[in-house]
Formats: sequence, C-alpha cells, structure tokens
Amino acid sequence: MWRYVSKRIMQGMVVLFIVSFFGFIIFQFLGDPAIAMAGQYATQAEIEAIRVSLGLDRSIYIQYFNFITNALQGNFGISYVTRLPALELVLQRLPATIELAIAAQVIAIVFGVLLGVLVAAFPRALLSKFSVVGSLFGISLPTFAVGILLILFFAVEFPIFPPFGRGELITLPWGWETGFLTWDGLKHLVLPALTLGLLQLALLFRLTRSGMQEALRSNYIRTARAKGLSRFPILFKHALRNVMIPVITIIGLQFGQLVGFSIVTEKIFQWPGTGNLLLSAIFDNDFPIVSTYIILIATLIVILNTLVDITYAFLNPRIRYD
Amino acid sequence: MQKLTLLKGAVTAMFAFTACASTAIASDITVGVSSDVATMEPNGSGSDSNLSVMANIFDGLLQRNSDGKLIPSLATDWERIDALTWRFTLRQGVKFHNGNDFTVDDVLFTFNRLTNPEISNFVNFGAQIASIEPLAGNPWVIDIKTHQPVAFFSQNLPQIFMMDKESTQDRSPGDVGQNPIGTGAYELAEWIKGSHVALAANEDYWGGAPAMDKVTIRPVTEASTALASIMSGSVDILQDVPVSSIKVIERNKKIDVLKTPARRSIFLGLSNAEGQPGSDVRVREAISIAINEEQIIDKVMFGAASLAAQVPDPATIGYNPDIKRPVFNPSKAKALLKEAGYADGFEITLTGPNDRYIQDEQILAAVAADLAKVGIRVNVAAKPKSIVFKELQENKLEFYLLGWFDGSYDYGRSFDKLVTSVDSEKGTGGWNGAAYSNAKLDKMIRDSAKIIDVAKREKALQALNLASQESFALIPLHYQMDVYAITKNAKFDFKPRPDTWLVFKEVTSK
Repeated sequence: MWRYVSKRIMQGMVVLFIVSFFGFIIFQFLGDPAIAMAGQYATQAEIEAIRVSLGLDRSIYIQYFNFITNALQGNFGISYVTRLPALELVLQRLPATIELAIAAQVIAIVFGVLLGVLVAAFPRALLSKFSVVGSLFGISLPTFAVGILLILFFAVEFPIFPPFGRGELITLPWGWETGFLTWDGLKHLVLPALTLGLLQLALLFRLTRSGMQEALRSNYIRTARAKGLSRFPILFKHALRNVMIPVITIIGLQFGQLVGFSIVTEKIFQWPGTGNLLLSAIFDNDFPIVSTYIILIATLIVILNTLVDITYAFLNPRIRYD
Repeated sequence: MQKLTLLKGAVTAMFAFTACASTAIASDITVGVSSDVATMEPNGSGSDSNLSVMANIFDGLLQRNSDGKLIPSLATDWERIDALTWRFTLRQGVKFHNGNDFTVDDVLFTFNRLTNPEISNFVNFGAQIASIEPLAGNPWVIDIKTHQPVAFFSQNLPQIFMMDKESTQDRSPGDVGQNPIGTGAYELAEWIKGSHVALAANEDYWGGAPAMDKVTIRPVTEASTALASIMSGSVDILQDVPVSSIKVIERNKKIDVLKTPARRSIFLGLSNAEGQPGSDVRVREAISIAINEEQIIDKVMFGAASLAAQVPDPATIGYNPDIKRPVFNPSKAKALLKEAGYADGFEITLTGPNDRYIQDEQILAAVAADLAKVGIRVNVAAKPKSIVFKELQENKLEFYLLGWFDGSYDYGRSFDKLVTSVDSEKGTGGWNGAAYSNAKLDKMIRDSAKIIDVAKREKALQALNLASQESFALIPLHYQMDVYAITKNAKFDFKPRPDTWLVFKEVTSK
C-alpha cells in the first residue's frame, strides 16, 4: 500500500513538472509584457531595459530554470501588471473558487444522487420523465448559456438572486474569507454554484440511476423485498450503498475539475476567484500570475486524484495496487 | 402580458428575501466598470481604469476639471520659466490620510520613484526630469528641470499622484500596492480583488468633504452580466455600456443612457515601403474613400461613434478644424487604383486586436468587405491585443488597425510614436506598426519640438496634422463614444468626464 502511495506521489511530481513546463512554453507566443509595463510612451530602449531586468531576453530554458528554482523556494515572482507578489494574489482568490466548487459539488451530489435513486425507483412518475430529459440539457448546454439564462431569469426578470459577485464575507481566523456564513453570501452563491454544478449534477444523476436500476433487479434486493422490508430502507440502505462506489470515484475526480474549470462561471458571475484572475492575467500578459495559477491548480488536482485513488483502495480491499 | 406581469409579481413575492432593491442611502453610490482595478500603487498603472480610481484616493500636483481643463491641485500655481524649467507653488496645510503633512519631500520622493520600472508605469515621464529643486529660502516653491524641452510637461501631471514619503519608503512594494495612503477626497475602505473597491469620504479633505459618503466600484467584465447589473439595480451607474446592449437599455424606462464623445479615435495604418502598394499615395487615398465608415458606425458601432477626419480629438493641441474627411466614393477609389497600376487590385493582410477596442474585430471584417468591393483582397488577422501590440512594436506589419488618444492632450507626443519614422535611438515610431516613413513629416515634427510659444506650437502641430492627412499617413475611421447607463431615480448628479475617469468629489447629491 505505502509503496503504491509513494509511487503515486512520484507520478504526480512528474505530471506537475511537465504541466509547468508547457505552461511556461506557451508564454513565448503570448506577446511581450515589457511593452505594457513600460507604459504607452516608453521608447524602444526603455522597453528593452525592462525586458533585460525581467530576464525576458534570455533563452526560454534559462527562464524556466530560474522560475522553477525560485518557485521551489516559494517565490513565484511579482505580477507584471499589479506589481504585487504573484503567489499572494492567487492565494487571496483561492477561497472564492474553492467555496464555489464545494457549493457546486454539494448541489450536484444532493440533487444528482437523490433524483437518480427516485427516478430508478419510480420510473413512471412525471418527475422522472422530466428529470431524464432535463439531464440531457444539463449535459449538452454550454456553461455560459446556462449562466446567462439563469441571470436573466432569476436576477433581472424575477429579482430573487443577485446577478453577480460574492456578497458579504466573513474573515475566518486564519485569513480565509468565507461567504458560507452570511445570508447575503449564500444568496450570491446559488446561481453560480448551480451553473457550475449542473453538468456534474446531470452526470451523477444518470450514473446513479443506471446503477440503481441494475441493483434493483438483483437477487439480494428481491430477497430483501420478499422478506418484507419496506421500500425506503431497501432503496437507500441496501441498493444505494453498492451503487455509491463508482459515484464516489466520479465525485472525487470531478472536484478537481470543478476548481479548474470554474473559469467560465467565474467570468459570467464576476466571481472574484482564481479563474477570473487567470483570465485577466492572460489578457494582460501577466505571466507570473498565469504560471503560479497553473502550478497551484495542477498541484491541487494531482493531490485530489491521488487521494481518491488511495481512498478507493481502502474502500474496496478487493482492488490491489502493485 | 398582464398574466406575465402577475406571474412575475407572484414569483417575486414568494421569495420574502427579495434581493437588494436599492435601499441605498442618499449619499451612497455604486458604479459598474468594465475592467478591474489592477493596483493601488498610484503610479503603477497608466491605464485609465486604474488612474480613475487613484484620482479619488490621491491628488496630483495638477488636476483636470470635468471639462478636461488643467486646474490647481496640490500645486496652487505653475508656470514655464524657460524651455527646460517649470515652477510650481505647492499647497500648504494638506495632510495625508495617515495624518502626515504634504511637503516638498513627498514631491521629490514621488518623482524619483517614477524611473523604477518595478513600481512605475511612467518610466518615460520620469526619465525626462533632470532635476527638482526647492527655491532657496522657500520650501513651497519648486523648479523642475527637464533634459529636453517638453512642451506638454504640465499636461501630464494630473496622472502623477503624490505619495507620502515617510510611510511609503519603509513598506514593501506589496504593502504599498494594496494599502494606499494619499491626500485624496476618499480613503480606501475595502478592496476585495476582482469584486469591488469601496471608498469612504475623507472628511478632512483640503478641497472640502465630498458629497458622497460611500462609493463602491465594481468591475463587471462580461457584457451580458453588465447589462444585468444595471437592469437589476445592482449598480447605480454602468460605465462602458456594451454597444450591443444600448437599445435594450434605452427601452427600459428606469434607466437613462448617456452618450458622450470619447477621446479615442480608431484608425488604419499602411506600409509605404518601396514595392508595397501603399507607397503610392493614390492607393492610400483609394483605401480611405473605399471604406463606408457611415455604415460601420451605424451597423457595427450601433450608432455609438462619430466620423473622424483626423487622429487627434478636438480637445487635443494639434487638432485642425480645417481638415475635412474625404467622401466615400468606391468608383473613384477603383479609378485611383487603376491609375496606380492596380486595376486588378492586390492582396494584403490587415492585422488588428480582437479584445481591445469597441467592436474591433467586427470593424476589421467590415473594412475587409468594403475593400473587397474595389478589388483589394484583405486577409483579416484579428488577434489578442497582447500579440498585436508586440507585432506593432516590431514595425513589420503591412496594414493594421489601432486606437489612440493622448492623455497629455498633445498631438506632438502621439505623432512621434505613431507616424514619425522608426528610430530606436531617438525613441520615435514605437507604435508605427508598418514602419511608415515620410521625410517631410519627420522634419515638421522635429521643428515643432523646438517651439516654446504655446500658440505657435499649436499652429505648427495643426500644419503637421494637415500635411499628414493630405498624404494619408494614417486613415482615420471614427471616434468612439463613451456610453453610460444611469438609474433614473438616482439621488445624485453625475457628469461624465472626457478622460473617462470617475472622480467622485465632482458628484453632487440631488
């Protein structure tokens, strides 16, 4: 087991290294930050001086080597646009993104699994037919369309929720700014979390439903029924437990994606998270922010995936990793 | 319709926690802006979106009033003593937000920092200064000497914000860039990056406490969200209304739409290197009369632009009211092309940004379509500004689209970057993307730099502008418009500024 864990961690490191390298290479095709840094009226010589002082005149390999050695010491450089430390800027935005992903995940799990169970149990109910069709929309509608429609409907036509932003925040003792603890913060969370979680909700719904359909046909459920157990304990205690293993795997794997792919949702809802920061950094050629973001998010995803694999091994001892 | 309204009312009422139906206090204002505040380092960003916020927290030696006219700020008086020397009288009794006094030391400190590219976006301006010295016996009067005569020196000063030496020098750049200490009419109350900047009135402001107690500036970068923000009442003012939303907002009875001419013009540049079609002035003229600009304004810009006959806007020194825009005439364009030996037209690549100016990519497509009608086959290369600006600086493009306005209100400075021949030693032609070169214009701009007399200089720049337009050095398309949406029941009076800055001390309550 521990050999497996250490192997996974090593693999993760290699992935991170490759991701950061390609992330860095892309900058070569993204323009010249020195032009914007020098200001509109700078002369060619002044721009060149800035290029040299940033080390942008050196070869890409040397730049990458310097970046990695600094990054390993926790120094991700200074943002070219804001002139503030890059790591601090990304970390300040991380709570917003993680809270959005958690909220989206919770919505997806609660509604996806619940609907999946109910629809498998009551396939003829109106709700079931509606859910099956609805899940198709959830899978096929692009995020930006969902987001814009939700805003127009629930913020402009029927002003129930605020159209954008994160609302009132409370700072927790260790500096984490949370929107979970205020009414205003929760209200701001509903639309973006629904937008971000919709795809996963639909996936979990379909996964749970097909798993449940299969489980409900199996012998042990038939036996349980024959012995006179009532409906809901059978559904949620006996059948669902067996269906949950693949569902949990998907949930674990998708959480990293929720964090990484929240970019579009954050842009639409003007959510002050890392995705929004990344977009403006790309727009402004702010390389230190982009590389810091790529490395942090890649680290997060690698850690999550490793944890999922390890948990999986503990949950299902029949699976062996060597 | 009746039913829908009823349904709406019912659904809305069902949720007792109905959203923020602007319960704003009289002196509270929320503004939606199109780009995020980058930094609180006052001289760390020259973009107007950043300067706009800084102008509330900090003061420059001079400022502009809402008509764009230069007026006193931390300097009460100023004059140009000789070609190289500018004299400023500093305002006494001004205090920074932390209680420190504003003195000559702060001025020296601020100007000295400008040459450091790690914290300053005004390196070029800082490098022009040779020395700053207080007058003997009077620490409230200073003489600033420049290396070369800089006719527009004072015009730049509203962009340079004075910092407190004592509290700035000991703090890390990261701290200075997030916790601003200025002399301005507002203090920073809260900055949640990517979400909002909240400002609180400085009751002890030297110019009197501002009418608005609390100001919130919220970036809303996505066009449809911006529309929702003003329609839902989440913001009182929306700056930079997306042109495609103007009609929708105008139909809303609770919102006023305000359009003011913007300073920025959009224009085309074309190479005149030997062998290039643009080396023949008839081809340049043909292109300028083959573009149906009125249609572009109507269809692409949704009416939110006005015809430009020249690059500078009327407020700029060097604007020449006598320049007339050539009339749209595709058949004459064809004839000119034939005369120039391009009866069958030619092929050319038009490069421009797709994320910088209002409807930029659509303008490029419209220009290409118009030129196709006279036989010029245009390949449109629309790219992110980060790439286009790099290519422009390399001066190797054939044909490009660019937008420009001059924060110093002086066409001479812009001309040196846009049209003067590329010369990296002299620092000219940095933005001359197609390396256009015209010896006559080069001489005229060189001569104009030596003129100190303001009126004579203006005449020279007007002549230069006319000569440049007669040789079609640049092909102007239109001036953009600044479009604002304002809630009708607003409890304040807001007047847009030509520089697009939101200076809240100018806002009065109704």
